[in-house]
Amino acid sequence: MTTITSSPSVQAASRKPASNRVLAVLRLHFVNIPTIFLWPLAILVTIWLVNLAIWWLVDINVSAPTDLAEARDGFGWTGAATFIFVYMMVVAIQAMSLTFPFALGYGVTRRDFYLGSVVAFILMSLVWTVVLTAFAVLEENSGGWGLGGRMFTGYLFGAGEWYQRSFVYLVGMLFFFFVGSAIATVWLRWKASGVTVFFIILTALLVALAALVTVTRTWPAVGDWFATTGYYGVVAWSLIPAVIAAVAGYFILQRSTPKNS
Amino acid sequence: MSAVIEVSGLTKRFGKFTAIDDVTLTVERNQICGLLGRNGAGKTTLMQLLTGQDFPTAGSISVLGGNPVENASVLGNVCFIKESQRYPEDFQPKHVLKSAPWFFPNWDAEFAARLVDDFRLPTNRRIKKLSRGQLSAVGVIVGLASRAPLTFFDEPYLGLDAVARQIFYDRLLEDYSEHPRTVILSTHLIDEVSDLLEHVIVIDEGRILIDKSADEVRGSATTVSGTRAAVEQFTASREIMHRDGIGGLASVTVGPLSAEERQSATAAGLELSPVSLQQLIVRKTKVSSTEFEQSA
Repeated sequence: MTTITSSPSVQAASRKPASNRVLAVLRLHFVNIPTIFLWPLAILVTIWLVNLAIWWLVDINVSAPTDLAEARDGFGWTGAATFIFVYMMVVAIQAMSLTFPFALGYGVTRRDFYLGSVVAFILMSLVWTVVLTAFAVLEENSGGWGLGGRMFTGYLFGAGEWYQRSFVYLVGMLFFFFVGSAIATVWLRWKASGVTVFFIILTALLVALAALVTVTRTWPAVGDWFATTGYYGVVAWSLIPAVIAAVAGYFILQRSTPKNS
Repeated sequence: MSAVIEVSGLTKRFGKFTAIDDVTLTVERNQICGLLGRNGAGKTTLMQLLTGQDFPTAGSISVLGGNPVENASVLGNVCFIKESQRYPEDFQPKHVLKSAPWFFPNWDAEFAARLVDDFRLPTNRRIKKLSRGQLSAVGVIVGLASRAPLTFFDEPYLGLDAVARQIFYDRLLEDYSEHPRTVILSTHLIDEVSDLLEHVIVIDEGRILIDKSADEVRGSATTVSGTRAAVEQFTASREIMHRDGIGGLASVTVGPLSAEERQSATAAGLELSPVSLQQLIVRKTKVSSTEFEQSA
């Protein structure tokens, strides 16, 4: 048998601590900046420009002050900026469905992959919070770009201070990242049928909850809770499903295999 | 000589289907080992189990001295290149080449750049848009330039042309002689790689048929040809793996022959010829499948 004995130092030198690999996974998520940041930013700016054009058209065509005020109030009911949240959910899903099998081929453990991904999702959430906050502050201080337009300060993000709005951006991002990645781990582990079963169970639980509230005649109490918790309070509560999704994703991924179907 | 991989009683079932059936094997350090078998024989499943990507139903696996499942100190020394490797969304080869060194401490960027030239790989094109051969080249480059102490190639060269495959074999041998490591190569292009292999593992229907050094395997069968009468006389008391014949001539494949047996065969006017690794494996796997049908 032609076997060559290697020097033990070669083997020893290649052993690196595991913490480096969490960092390596984190960097891996950011190696292709155009796809995860520049493209969605360009789309966001394009949507903003289209909105600007629409606000301008309204501005030059509506002359009566009461009509204009009414139209501008309508600008508040916009979901134009929500696209970026959905895009990031897709980024999270692809991180699990594509980057996960890729990283495992590089000898990464599921644990290191997940920890690196969690840090990446939190970092991306922070970056988008900064970007959206910057737009919102400009929008607010320029009187809606001089046209009363609202894309980043719509009713969806609450009527509070700028930092309260930033809080909605941040929580929204975390929610979409971690719920997206958790659903993707369900798919990785149990395939399409698993995702179907998951949604059936989720729907059943929500219906059961609604039934429970109806049977116990506690809808007024539920209404009171929403009223007293307030909009930002309700947003804060959505951190709980985000954290549950993040923890569940970890445990589901632990037993997932990168299959090619 | 020490073992890099030690597997015993390994079984993997998917529902009622048994993909890996009570496999026991050992792979020594620093050799090129061929994992050969037909499609669906269990090659990929075995590799996934050895790299901790899948979980065994029964049995034990030790890779580089530990269980590979979620073991960072083991997996940190492993590179697994799959035929159907998936890449992150919108990745280009340049992203792969940029990120690989973060995971492989022995990564040789110069070597990788040379391989990119050798395979004429466009590094600025989206991987989704690459041809099948170029896609395989990405994996081959990572597998070679990573210099992981334990490298798995699972059918690494689907779509690569003959020239590119030869480049792969040449570079693998060159680099392996300078930087010894353990390489497990699964393929069905058996004749092409047979000179490369030092150890051969043949798997069929989840069971190990052959686990021997390549030299031993090559010597384990001989084809005896000549006139039908002479061949039949010589092979009468032997186990016959394969039989061919035209008219009065016959050609029969039998097991290993001793020096005296060879002499007596030549004296009887018979011609002896070695059996290629590929022919041997084709014959072995056929035998087992008929046996399997009979027992079922």
